[in-house]
Amino acid sequence: MKASQIVESVLFASDAPLKAEEIARADESLDEDRVEEAVQELRTLYDESERAFQVMELGEGYQVLTRPEFSSYLERFDTVPRPSRLSGPALETLAIIAYRQPIGRIEVEYIRGVGSAGVIRTLQDRGLIEVLGRGEGLGRPLLYGTTQRFLEHFGFTSLEELPRPDELPVVLRDRSSLEEEEEGSPPDPSQGELGLDQRQENESAPGNGSASGEERAPEEEPAREDHDPGS
Amino acid sequence: MDLSGLEPPAAPGRPFARGDFLLVELDRFQGPLDLLLHLIRQQDIDIFDIPIATITEQFLTVVDGIAAEELDEAGEFLEMAATLVRIKAQMLLPRGEEEEDEDPRAELVRRLLEYEQIREISGRLALAEAQRARLFGKGYVEPRIREAADDTPLETTWEDVMEVAMGVEMPRAGGRSHRVTTGLVALEEKIQLILDTLEELTRVEFSQLLTPWKDPMHGVMTLLAGLELSRQRAISLRQARLFSELWLLRKDLDAWRGEVGEEMKGMETGLESLPDMSEGEEGP
Repeated sequence: MKASQIVESVLFASDAPLKAEEIARADESLDEDRVEEAVQELRTLYDESERAFQVMELGEGYQVLTRPEFSSYLERFDTVPRPSRLSGPALETLAIIAYRQPIGRIEVEYIRGVGSAGVIRTLQDRGLIEVLGRGEGLGRPLLYGTTQRFLEHFGFTSLEELPRPDELPVVLRDRSSLEEEEEGSPPDPSQGELGLDQRQENESAPGNGSASGEERAPEEEPAREDHDPGS
Repeated sequence: MDLSGLEPPAAPGRPFARGDFLLVELDRFQGPLDLLLHLIRQQDIDIFDIPIATITEQFLTVVDGIAAEELDEAGEFLEMAATLVRIKAQMLLPRGEEEEDEDPRAELVRRLLEYEQIREISGRLALAEAQRARLFGKGYVEPRIREAADDTPLETTWEDVMEVAMGVEMPRAGGRSHRVTTGLVALEEKIQLILDTLEELTRVEFSQLLTPWKDPMHGVMTLLAGLELSRQRAISLRQARLFSELWLLRKDLDAWRGEVGEEMKGMETGLESLPDMSEGEEGP
């Protein structure tokens, strides 16, 4: 049995992204490097044989997805899983959290100029953001950050794929000026400009989208929000 | 005061009416910063030199229209109004000698620029989301049972609504009297059109069936014909999502003909008179 075939079978049977280490559990002969090699082989194979699907990297996981040019055919079925689109306020809030994480609700609301408790709860329920910890200061506010599912939802491999602030037509102000004016209690000031570095350390926080343990039964995630049929 | 800049871009030439402006706008704008940015960008104002008196006045005009019962939702707008008035007052005061005194508008400008930045980013996120949505994974979703309208979250954007609104033919202003004419477009004719079309094609877009005609009555009757045929299970109707193109799909036409040919014959007499409501009683 070729390694690439084993990996292919695992990818084929999954309806959610799988990390290389998770795929490697399929056989003793596999480790993360082997799995990544195998994924490369599969990609080449699928390209050369003009398959209608491809191996995509979403967050830290791999998933077999159809190629974009076939979407119009699939959209005619209402039985295919399709992610629901986020609302304007949800996108706006996510944008702030993605760039400023870890960040508290008060800060988000200051930037948006509107109350955001409801949107934050919705994003949390949908697994797109999670609580990373508590900030210093009054009331020890909850601090939020984006999850693996956030990356999956937007098709990103990592947060690095977000547009750099200097690529944008308007410049984000640096954090310090906000902290001076902020009437709330700003979080830990030790983080980098975007707070992106911080993310890695919090990776082990619970509920970041990857099922832990061996018993990754398919029934475990039947209600993936991304595939919410209700909207 | 010149309010021409206040008009929503989608309705050029529409007179400014405070009441409905606000009703629409409070929903349209995601918050006071959004509204402020709109006022500033719409009038090509230099964001680093905001004419605070003018902008405050315009902002207050909008906020003024907030009805008492909407105060809950409008709190943020009122807070911004207060901030603007405060800045306006500070601008009038003679500035202290110390040059380190910051322009009273500085913090507002920073917030506006930052908010504009965030909007740019959310636009890109929306784009990434749309691209990601074109890739499908494995899975099967139960064909949905319609939820009660109350439970359906409204997930749409103003762009979507605008697009649909622009597609709607507006009634001619003016003449209030309606001239009722009957029997111009026969339902059976449309049924036949659909059947003929689906004879050749396995599926057809609804709009395709309408192309030769301008009169909206053709649209109405074609839709009724489609619904009737789908009720008889002769065709099926598909729509990917709300407001998207409607598809008419062929089912087994021959089998259907055999089954309901009789019923159809019976119907035809009724259908002829259906557009003519005066004898509508005998319709199916």
